[in-house]
Amino acid sequence: MRPVKADPEDTETTALHRLADFTGKRVLEIGCGDGRLTWRYADRAAFVVAIDPDADDIDLARKECPPALRGRVEFHVTRLEDFVPPPAPFDLALLSWSL
Amino acid sequence: MVHALEKLHALLKPAGELIDIHPTTEPASIGVRLRAREFGAGWINEIDDYVEYQWADEALDRAVASGWFALEKRATFEFVWHAASLAELRAYLAEEWRDAVIDDLTAMRIEDALKSPERDKELIVREKIGVARYRRSDSRSV
Repeated sequence: MRPVKADPEDTETTALHRLADFTGKRVLEIGCGDGRLTWRYADRAAFVVAIDPDADDIDLARKECPPALRGRVEFHVTRLEDFVPPPAPFDLALLSWSL
Repeated sequence: MVHALEKLHALLKPAGELIDIHPTTEPASIGVRLRAREFGAGWINEIDDYVEYQWADEALDRAVASGWFALEKRATFEFVWHAASLAELRAYLAEEWRDAVIDDLTAMRIEDALKSPERDKELIVREKIGVARYRRSDSRSV
Protein backbone atom coordinates (compact mmCIF):
# COMPACT_ATOMS: atom_id res chain seq x y z
CA MET A 1 0.00 0.00 0.00
CA ARG A 2 1.33 3.42 -0.99
CA PRO A 3 1.39 5.95 1.87
CA VAL A 4 -0.93 8.96 1.71
CA LYS A 5 0.99 11.90 0.31
CA ALA A 6 0.40 15.12 2.24
CA ASP A 7 1.01 18.35 0.36
CA PRO A 8 3.48 16.99 -2.23
CA GLU A 9 3.09 20.32 -4.04
CA ASP A 10 4.58 22.02 -0.93
CA THR A 11 1.98 24.80 -0.94
CA GLU A 12 2.24 25.09 2.84
CA THR A 13 5.95 25.91 2.70
CA THR A 14 5.36 28.44 -0.07
CA ALA A 15 2.57 30.14 1.91
CA LEU A 16 4.67 30.15 5.09
CA HIS A 17 7.72 31.75 3.48
CA ARG A 18 5.57 34.34 1.69
CA LEU A 19 4.36 35.47 5.07
CA ALA A 20 7.44 35.25 7.26
CA ASP A 21 11.20 35.58 7.01
CA PHE A 22 12.78 33.18 9.47
CA THR A 23 16.35 34.20 8.67
CA GLY A 24 18.44 34.60 11.82
CA LYS A 25 15.42 34.59 14.11
CA ARG A 26 14.70 32.95 17.44
CA VAL A 27 11.55 30.96 16.79
CA LEU A 28 9.04 29.32 19.10
CA GLU A 29 6.82 26.77 17.34
CA ILE A 30 3.69 25.67 19.19
CA GLY A 31 2.14 22.36 18.16
CA CYS A 32 5.13 21.11 16.19
CA GLY A 33 3.99 17.46 16.22
CA ASP A 34 6.62 15.26 14.58
CA GLY A 35 8.44 18.29 13.11
CA ARG A 36 6.73 18.14 9.71
CA LEU A 37 6.60 21.94 9.46
CA THR A 38 9.74 22.59 11.53
CA TRP A 39 12.01 21.11 8.86
CA ARG A 40 10.58 23.57 6.32
CA TYR A 41 12.02 26.70 7.96
CA ALA A 42 14.50 25.70 10.69
CA ASP A 43 17.53 25.81 8.39
CA ARG A 44 17.05 29.59 8.10
CA ALA A 45 16.42 30.32 11.79
CA ALA A 46 19.10 31.08 14.36
CA PHE A 47 17.42 28.98 17.05
CA VAL A 48 14.14 27.06 17.30
CA VAL A 49 12.24 25.82 20.32
CA ALA A 50 9.45 23.52 19.17
CA ILE A 51 6.86 22.25 21.64
CA ASP A 52 4.04 19.74 21.56
CA PRO A 53 2.21 17.80 24.30
CA ASP A 54 2.43 14.50 22.36
CA ALA A 55 5.53 12.63 23.63
CA ASP A 56 5.49 10.12 20.75
CA ASP A 57 5.51 12.90 18.16
CA ILE A 58 8.35 14.72 19.92
CA ASP A 59 10.31 11.49 20.14
CA LEU A 60 9.93 11.05 16.38
CA ALA A 61 10.91 14.68 15.73
CA ARG A 62 14.08 14.27 17.81
CA LYS A 63 15.00 11.10 15.93
CA GLU A 64 14.39 12.68 12.53
CA CYS A 65 16.17 15.95 13.27
CA PRO A 66 18.74 16.44 10.49
CA PRO A 67 22.34 16.52 11.79
CA ALA A 68 22.81 20.05 10.47
CA LEU A 69 20.01 21.31 12.72
CA ARG A 70 21.08 19.61 15.94
CA GLY A 71 22.11 22.20 18.47
CA ARG A 72 19.89 24.80 16.79
CA VAL A 73 16.53 23.06 17.26
CA GLU A 74 15.18 21.94 20.63
CA PHE A 75 12.03 19.86 21.08
CA HIS A 76 10.07 19.82 24.32
CA VAL A 77 7.06 17.77 25.44
CA THR A 78 4.84 20.43 26.94
CA ARG A 79 1.69 22.43 26.45
CA LEU A 80 2.09 26.16 25.95
CA GLU A 81 0.44 26.82 29.31
CA ASP A 82 3.16 24.83 31.10
CA PHE A 83 6.09 25.89 28.92
CA VAL A 84 9.02 27.35 30.84
CA PRO A 85 10.72 29.66 28.34
CA PRO A 86 14.43 30.42 28.07
CA PRO A 87 15.45 33.85 29.39
CA ALA A 88 15.76 35.52 25.97
CA PRO A 89 12.47 36.39 24.24
CA PHE A 90 11.55 35.11 20.78
CA ASP A 91 11.50 37.06 17.51
CA LEU A 92 8.73 34.93 16.05
CA ALA A 93 6.09 32.52 17.34
CA LEU A 94 4.48 30.00 15.01
CA LEU A 95 1.11 28.49 15.84
CA SER A 96 1.31 25.32 13.80
CA TRP A 97 -2.30 24.12 13.31
CA SER A 98 -2.52 24.38 17.06
CA LEU A 99 -4.59 27.28 18.39
CA MET B 1 -7.03 30.21 23.60
CA VAL B 2 -7.05 33.83 24.76
CA HIS B 3 -4.71 32.86 27.62
CA ALA B 4 -2.38 31.19 25.10
CA LEU B 5 -2.23 34.40 23.07
CA GLU B 6 -1.57 36.44 26.20
CA LYS B 7 1.33 34.12 27.06
CA LEU B 8 2.69 34.39 23.51
CA HIS B 9 2.56 38.16 23.78
CA ALA B 10 4.80 37.92 26.84
CA LEU B 11 7.22 35.48 25.17
CA LEU B 12 7.81 37.68 22.13
CA LYS B 13 10.18 40.60 21.79
CA PRO B 14 8.56 44.01 21.29
CA ALA B 15 7.30 44.05 17.66
CA GLY B 16 7.86 40.28 17.45
CA GLU B 17 5.84 38.32 14.91
CA LEU B 18 3.11 35.76 15.41
CA ILE B 19 2.37 33.43 12.51
CA ASP B 20 -0.82 31.41 12.71
CA ILE B 21 -1.66 28.49 10.43
CA HIS B 22 -4.88 26.59 10.86
CA PRO B 23 -7.63 25.14 8.69
CA THR B 24 -10.63 27.30 7.86
CA THR B 25 -14.13 26.25 8.91
CA GLU B 26 -14.81 25.06 5.36
CA PRO B 27 -14.97 21.23 5.25
CA ALA B 28 -12.29 19.51 3.19
CA SER B 29 -13.50 18.16 -0.14
CA ILE B 30 -12.85 14.64 -1.41
CA GLY B 31 -12.54 14.04 -5.14
CA VAL B 32 -11.72 11.02 -7.25
CA ARG B 33 -9.29 11.58 -10.10
CA LEU B 34 -9.52 9.25 -13.07
CA ARG B 35 -6.61 10.16 -15.34
CA ALA B 36 -7.15 13.90 -16.06
CA ARG B 37 -10.75 14.12 -14.84
CA GLU B 38 -11.69 14.77 -11.21
CA PHE B 39 -15.13 14.04 -9.74
CA GLY B 40 -16.40 15.55 -6.51
CA ALA B 41 -17.41 12.76 -4.11
CA GLY B 42 -18.22 14.71 -0.95
CA TRP B 43 -16.59 16.18 2.09
CA ILE B 44 -14.72 15.26 5.22
CA ASN B 45 -16.73 16.34 8.21
CA GLU B 46 -15.49 16.68 11.75
CA ILE B 47 -17.27 15.40 14.83
CA ASP B 48 -17.35 18.94 16.21
CA ASP B 49 -18.11 20.58 12.84
CA TYR B 50 -14.78 22.44 12.70
CA VAL B 51 -15.90 24.59 15.63
CA GLU B 52 -12.41 24.78 17.14
CA TYR B 53 -11.20 26.71 14.09
CA GLN B 54 -13.99 29.21 14.57
CA TRP B 55 -12.94 29.57 18.21
CA ALA B 56 -9.33 30.11 17.12
CA ASP B 57 -10.38 32.89 14.74
CA GLU B 58 -12.49 34.50 17.46
CA ALA B 59 -9.61 34.35 19.96
CA LEU B 60 -7.25 36.00 17.47
CA ASP B 61 -9.83 38.68 16.70
CA ARG B 62 -10.16 39.37 20.43
CA ALA B 63 -6.36 39.58 20.83
CA VAL B 64 -6.27 42.17 18.04
CA ALA B 65 -9.22 44.11 19.49
CA SER B 66 -7.48 44.10 22.89
CA GLY B 67 -4.33 45.60 21.38
CA TRP B 68 -2.04 42.60 22.04
CA PHE B 69 -1.38 42.03 18.35
CA ALA B 70 -1.91 43.86 15.06
CA LEU B 71 -2.94 41.89 12.00
CA GLU B 72 -0.53 42.54 9.11
CA LYS B 73 -1.39 39.99 6.45
CA ARG B 74 -3.84 37.16 5.90
CA ALA B 75 -4.08 34.59 3.11
CA THR B 76 -5.38 31.11 2.36
CA PHE B 77 -3.90 28.16 0.52
CA GLU B 78 -5.03 24.69 -0.43
CA PHE B 79 -3.47 21.73 1.39
CA VAL B 80 -3.85 18.57 -0.69
CA TRP B 81 -3.63 14.89 0.25
CA HIS B 82 -3.37 12.10 -2.31
CA ALA B 83 -4.48 8.55 -1.47
CA ALA B 84 -4.77 5.39 -3.57
CA SER B 85 -7.90 4.01 -1.92
CA LEU B 86 -10.61 4.76 0.60
CA ALA B 87 -9.11 2.20 3.01
CA GLU B 88 -5.76 3.94 2.79
CA LEU B 89 -7.33 7.35 3.38
CA ARG B 90 -9.35 6.06 6.34
CA ALA B 91 -6.25 4.49 7.91
CA TYR B 92 -4.39 7.78 7.52
CA LEU B 93 -7.24 9.83 9.00
CA ALA B 94 -7.52 7.44 11.96
CA GLU B 95 -3.89 8.19 12.74
CA GLU B 96 -3.57 11.87 11.83
CA TRP B 97 -7.06 13.41 11.87
CA ARG B 98 -8.96 11.52 14.51
CA ASP B 99 -12.21 13.49 14.49
CA ALA B 100 -12.60 13.29 10.71
CA VAL B 101 -15.74 11.59 9.41
CA ILE B 102 -16.46 10.32 5.89
CA ASP B 103 -20.20 9.75 5.62
CA ASP B 104 -21.69 6.64 3.97
CA LEU B 105 -22.91 8.44 0.85
CA THR B 106 -19.49 9.96 0.19
CA ALA B 107 -17.83 6.58 0.80
CA MET B 108 -20.23 4.93 -1.66
CA ARG B 109 -19.50 7.54 -4.33
CA ILE B 110 -15.77 7.05 -3.85
CA GLU B 111 -15.98 3.26 -4.08
CA ASP B 112 -18.19 3.48 -7.18
CA ALA B 113 -15.79 5.86 -8.92
CA LEU B 114 -12.77 3.73 -8.01
CA LYS B 115 -14.39 0.68 -9.65
CA SER B 116 -13.44 2.24 -12.97
CA PRO B 117 -10.98 0.08 -14.93
CA GLU B 118 -8.83 3.19 -15.35
CA ARG B 119 -5.43 2.44 -13.78
CA ASP B 120 -4.37 6.07 -13.26
CA LYS B 121 -6.71 6.97 -10.41
CA GLU B 122 -6.54 8.33 -6.87
CA LEU B 123 -8.41 10.17 -4.14
CA ILE B 124 -7.66 13.83 -3.66
CA VAL B 125 -8.54 15.65 -0.42
CA ARG B 126 -8.40 19.44 -0.54
CA GLU B 127 -8.50 21.52 2.61
CA LYS B 128 -8.52 25.30 2.74
CA ILE B 129 -5.95 26.59 5.24
CA GLY B 130 -5.76 30.09 6.62
CA VAL B 131 -2.41 31.70 7.36
CA ALA B 132 -1.88 35.07 9.00
CA ARG B 133 0.90 37.26 10.29
CA TYR B 134 0.43 39.38 13.40
CA ARG B 135 2.83 41.82 15.03
CA ARG B 136 3.13 42.14 18.79
CA SER B 137 1.63 45.41 19.85
CA ASP B 138 1.89 47.22 23.15
CA SER B 139 -1.27 49.25 22.91
CA ARG B 140 -3.21 46.89 25.18
CA SER B 141 -6.47 48.16 26.52
CA VAL B 142 -6.57 48.07 30.30
